Amino acid sequence: MMNSQTALQTSGHNIANKSTEGFSRQRVEIQTNTPVGSGQLRYGMGSKTAAVTRINNPYLERQIGNERSLGGFFDGKAEAMSRVENVYNEQQNKGLNQFVSDFFSSVHELSNNPESLATRTQVRETADFLTKDFKRVHSQLHEITRDLDQQITSQLDEVNGMTKEIASLNEKIQSVELQGGYANDERDRRDLLLKQVGERINIRWAEGADTTVTVTAGNSALLVAGYDAKTLAAKPTAESATKAEGAVDIFYFNNDKAEPINVTQQITGGKVGGTLAVRDQVVTDLLSDVDKMAYSFAANVNELHRNGFNAYNETNGNFFELPNEIRHASANLKVSADIMDDVGRIATAGSAQSPGDPRIATAIAHLQNDKTMSGEHTFDEFYNSIVGKVGVQAHRAETASTTQRDIVKQMNNLRESVSGVSLDEEATKLIEYQKSFDASARLIRTADEMFDTILNLKRM
Amino acid sequence: MRIADKMALNQVNAGIQKNRAELTDLQNQAATQKRVNKPSDDPLAATRVLSARTNVNASQQFIKNINQAKTFLEYSDQSLGEMTEVLTRAKELAISQSTDAGANAISRTVTATEIGQLFDQSVQVGNRKLGDRYLFGGFKTTNPPFSKDGDYRGDTGEMKVAINKDADVAINMPGSRVFLGQGIRSGRVRDDAPSENSIDLRIYENGGELKNEATIRGPAGADENSDAGKGPSNLSATWQNNGTNVFNVLMDLEVSLRTNSKEGVQDSLDRLDEALAQVVLSRAEVGSRVSTLQSGLENLTKGVIDSKALASSLEDVDNFELVSDLNKSESTLKASLASSGKLIQPSLLDFLK
Repeated sequence: MMNSQTALQTSGHNIANKSTEGFSRQRVEIQTNTPVGSGQLRYGMGSKTAAVTRINNPYLERQIGNERSLGGFFDGKAEAMSRVENVYNEQQNKGLNQFVSDFFSSVHELSNNPESLATRTQVRETADFLTKDFKRVHSQLHEITRDLDQQITSQLDEVNGMTKEIASLNEKIQSVELQGGYANDERDRRDLLLKQVGERINIRWAEGADTTVTVTAGNSALLVAGYDAKTLAAKPTAESATKAEGAVDIFYFNNDKAEPINVTQQITGGKVGGTLAVRDQVVTDLLSDVDKMAYSFAANVNELHRNGFNAYNETNGNFFELPNEIRHASANLKVSADIMDDVGRIATAGSAQSPGDPRIATAIAHLQNDKTMSGEHTFDEFYNSIVGKVGVQAHRAETASTTQRDIVKQMNNLRESVSGVSLDEEATKLIEYQKSFDASARLIRTADEMFDTILNLKRM
Repeated sequence: MRIADKMALNQVNAGIQKNRAELTDLQNQAATQKRVNKPSDDPLAATRVLSARTNVNASQQFIKNINQAKTFLEYSDQSLGEMTEVLTRAKELAISQSTDAGANAISRTVTATEIGQLFDQSVQVGNRKLGDRYLFGGFKTTNPPFSKDGDYRGDTGEMKVAINKDADVAINMPGSRVFLGQGIRSGRVRDDAPSENSIDLRIYENGGELKNEATIRGPAGADENSDAGKGPSNLSATWQNNGTNVFNVLMDLEVSLRTNSKEGVQDSLDRLDEALAQVVLSRAEVGSRVSTLQSGLENLTKGVIDSKALASSLEDVDNFELVSDLNKSESTLKASLASSGKLIQPSLLDFLK
């Protein structure tokens, strides 16, 4: 009867945890009791509950962990890329492509009518809008970097919480299993946590003979060892080859005294890894591209413009205030103050005293089709190829993330097939054990009746 | 395979999610009427759409440029036509006064007055304005190019405007050429002077300064190496060597008439012919530029339509396809919802009473 009750209890536990994430169904292992023998006869002594174990395939669990880690990486990438993509989305809004186009159109108008104040003003306005859009792209990309940093920080906080829990689970599991029991629920929980940590950063883990798991992030950041959990933290650092000023690096705190170790380069997987990949490779590249384009644009226009004469017969004036260096050129680009004050200072003529001379304006207008970007691309081609590149990357990240999600789903189904709870099954088990319980009870009653019979023998 | 409850539920969930996502995407396409709503929807199409749009914008601008240039040139043509009439009239008068048979000192004085008026008319034509811009002043468009006495105060500048990606066309005929005959020499193209009636290919070095001007001959232009032009070959004899100052011719004629110099008047006849030929030649150049522009205009208009069609075919939705896809997704969603209901419902527990 006790056996049946244990079994019923376990079924109840299974049913209750039907929806618990990471739960593995549990089974009562019932064995025959050691028979008692006397001479030739050996009596069976009934059954005993040997153990309650969980049904679980550790290899499958580990594989799911790996796939989820990959999934996390692609998810992180896809999320970040979809934000980056928005900066370059001109399907609905005006963007650099349009503003560059507008600028050149206005310069064409200027060449049609260099004497007119109206066309000059228009050139100034379109140029001003263009510089503002360069600035918009620059600042939006920066904003994305900041957001990604925040995501990284919060992800790491979650990781720290989980590693702490894993360490304490290590302790519990060890104390249970040293006494020969099975820490089923704790192990389920630990497996789940390992998968969740893996989804956020790339980890390697192994279970030792002492039943504790050791978790290492990247190559060297030992997060959990025995009952101890170490933390990771994100802190803004100075600019480096791969990232902008103020963006965070990931540090590993070994102990309170030692200097934290920068492990950013080791985090190449999981959601944090995916986010970092976009931040350090994609966004950094895009920023340098837009800077290059802004600088080259201003430099080319200026060079032609300096050769020209403005309405006051002055020459050698700049159209744009050329930033000092290519870096951050897109943020610092401005129409020169002279021109902002007085559109008469826009130079259109190739010679002095020639108000109708449109040669410089025409020359600037032709820049639109000149291969000004390192001699290979026009501005338009250069920018469009950036849009294409972003589109392809976003598309690829999205596809990879969807595919990976499908794979994880499939693996989870496999896992459920092994470890998941089936109500039908539990119901049959319930009936089965109920019947056993009934039968055992009947047996006891029979024994009781027999005993009564014996006791009543004398009375008869 | 063992089927756990969660599997079934997960499957139901995933299926419905997928159908809903598909439906939302199609719904979005229907709302925007665009197949490509962000670059990642179709990166290749997105970039091609962008470059097609640039093309459309640029072509539309070129069309504007051409229309402006055409206005300018057509007005020049009209003015030159008037000039031809003036010179023809002057020649008629000169012929009538070139012999002693039909003319005498008095008739010559009277005619001289009319020639004087024709002179004034020529100056007026030379100072024609389109809007605020003088037609024949070269780059000096803001001041009248000719003084009352026919002195030229403009320059030889040709206002070149882009008419397509790699070609410019001069929209004006400087007065120095039309009225003074400068730059017109036996139909040859000189390296140092921009050729008349030509489209210049500009080649930039160092991305900046105008370094070299290669020229392509326009339709009515003369062959670079032959002595006489092909188009206006019948005129070549008369405008060999140097051009003629139209104003001087008229002024000399007037003086000859006033001084009753028959020889002077006869002398003027040849020079009038030259002047006429010069103006007619300029007019022919203007005309051929206009026709070049016209054909450029047609090409560009066609290009705009093509580019727009390309962009549309790349980014716009095919509504028939969309609607049929929508219907398909919708019925799929309904089917999966219906089957989900069946999948979730029954359990052994329902039958244990």
